[in-house]
Amino acid sequence: MSGKTINGIAIDDTFAEAFGMSALGLVITADSLKWAMISAQVMTGFGTSVIGCGAECGIDRALSPDETPDGRPGVRVLMFGFSPDSLVPQLRNRVGQCVLTSPGSACYNGLDSPTTLGLAAGPRFFGDGWQTAKKLGDRRFWRVPTMDGEFVIEDKCGLTTDAVGGGNLLILGRDRAGLLEATEAAVEAINKLDDVITPFPGGIVRSGSKVGSKYKGAVASTNDAFCPTLKGAVATECSPDTIAVLEIVIDGLTSKSVAEAMRVGLKALIDVGAAKGVTRVSAGNYGGKLGQHHYHLKDLLP
Amino acid sequence: MSTLNFKLRQAPVATVDLSALIPAKLAGLSTGDIEELPLGALKVADLFDVSGTLGDAIVISGGSPLLDYVGAGLDGGSITVEGPVGAYAGRGMRSGRLDIRGDAGAYLASNARGGIIHVTGSAGSFAGGARPGDKFGMLGGTVVVEGDVGERAGERMRRGTIIARGKFGAAAGSRMVGGTLWTETGFGPRPGPLLRRGTLIGPKVDDMLPTFADCGRVDPVVLRILSRSVAQTLGALAPKALPIIVHKFAGDQATIGKGEILLTG
Repeated sequence: MSGKTINGIAIDDTFAEAFGMSALGLVITADSLKWAMISAQVMTGFGTSVIGCGAECGIDRALSPDETPDGRPGVRVLMFGFSPDSLVPQLRNRVGQCVLTSPGSACYNGLDSPTTLGLAAGPRFFGDGWQTAKKLGDRRFWRVPTMDGEFVIEDKCGLTTDAVGGGNLLILGRDRAGLLEATEAAVEAINKLDDVITPFPGGIVRSGSKVGSKYKGAVASTNDAFCPTLKGAVATECSPDTIAVLEIVIDGLTSKSVAEAMRVGLKALIDVGAAKGVTRVSAGNYGGKLGQHHYHLKDLLP
Repeated sequence: MSTLNFKLRQAPVATVDLSALIPAKLAGLSTGDIEELPLGALKVADLFDVSGTLGDAIVISGGSPLLDYVGAGLDGGSITVEGPVGAYAGRGMRSGRLDIRGDAGAYLASNARGGIIHVTGSAGSFAGGARPGDKFGMLGGTVVVEGDVGERAGERMRRGTIIARGKFGAAAGSRMVGGTLWTETGFGPRPGPLLRRGTLIGPKVDDMLPTFADCGRVDPVVLRILSRSVAQTLGALAPKALPIIVHKFAGDQATIGKGEILLTG
């Protein structure tokens, strides 16, 4: 896997293998950005991996009042799933439990697309017959009476089946605290981009997985090749001085947005990494046979 | 943009149906063909001098309350009338823009589904209303009337918005099932008889029906969406944004009562 070394950081000659996914976007508004953000954070919580959470969710960015349908501050969130069908219950439950319930909230479509899902299909019936709709132009808004006034939810939200999940960077370091800081910087750079999320806690995964397990019933297990404590005991991918490995997983609405996110993440790591003990950057793949999208690190170098 | 002009030679003596004079129906016709088009017992050349070239815009210079169905079925492009028009202007309109520099008769925008209608004068009764035989009145689109609107505006209207700078006449929103009537001056007597759903917005009501329930002061988010949506659609024609807090009356309780009268004053 020997590749280039830039700024003292070895870039493996490998690729990230990612998968086609379905995705939707929502705009959540509230009386203040604080409350829009609270609703968005709760709504996207427990949304790290489709395997265990049903959907991968994250906050794309904060929206200024002039970017939202009701002129209040808002947040755009993205949800990714294996298929449109798998997103239906996720959308219903997350919006119903986390947005409808949040003080002053409203929920709108956040992705222009000819294909749609019924955003209000479940939540509007909370109105128990008192819900009414207002169609303005080609958008229909449901109004559901609630204890603090009215929950407004748009009838439909856009859906794309061209989304990509699982773009990734594996960052190896010889100092755990420094490695975390450098990886945080990369996540920060990625978060500045539109149309991508990093669904894991703070955008970072410490428990990268391989497919399968020695135990029946477990579909994934620890990626032992990248576990530094096992580097003498298994066929390791770690370098001799590796003390920790962190991973950034990226989901995007398009393949291009995922590639761009990996590119800016890689650049941030190259810019600040060496001083913080980053020694190598690699990427996770399954030999190229499972995922339709391959992102070669050598193509993404600054 | 090329414009086709119809200059009214003399006021008609009986009602004339002008629904043939929309860009889509005139496409491909020469000026000669257009002059020969029948308008009931008459033909175009009997009433109008035709000039210019057909593009997206039609201008009718000179109007009359006997010119019915102006812009009916309009689906793209624009029609400007320099003068008053009769009944059914913009009926069944789907998109585009109809500007009436004068008064409009009854049933303005009846059955319209989209587009923008601007009337600089006043509008007659049943604006946005269903005429006998229609299941619903207006089904979409936006109407702005600078003056007053006659009685029973929005009769069985389902979607869309009618904005009046002036006042709506008696029984505005009768049997309405959706959509919005919005006045900057006020409603005449007893708005909303048998209102099922839909929103009537204005600073005051002359005489509130007893079947409207006082729900007190409310601050519905949907009014912010409405203000912004209308501002986006109408630009300079848009009314002033609605206040955050309005006084809501829910009704008509004589029917399902999911409609509302919102007082901004």
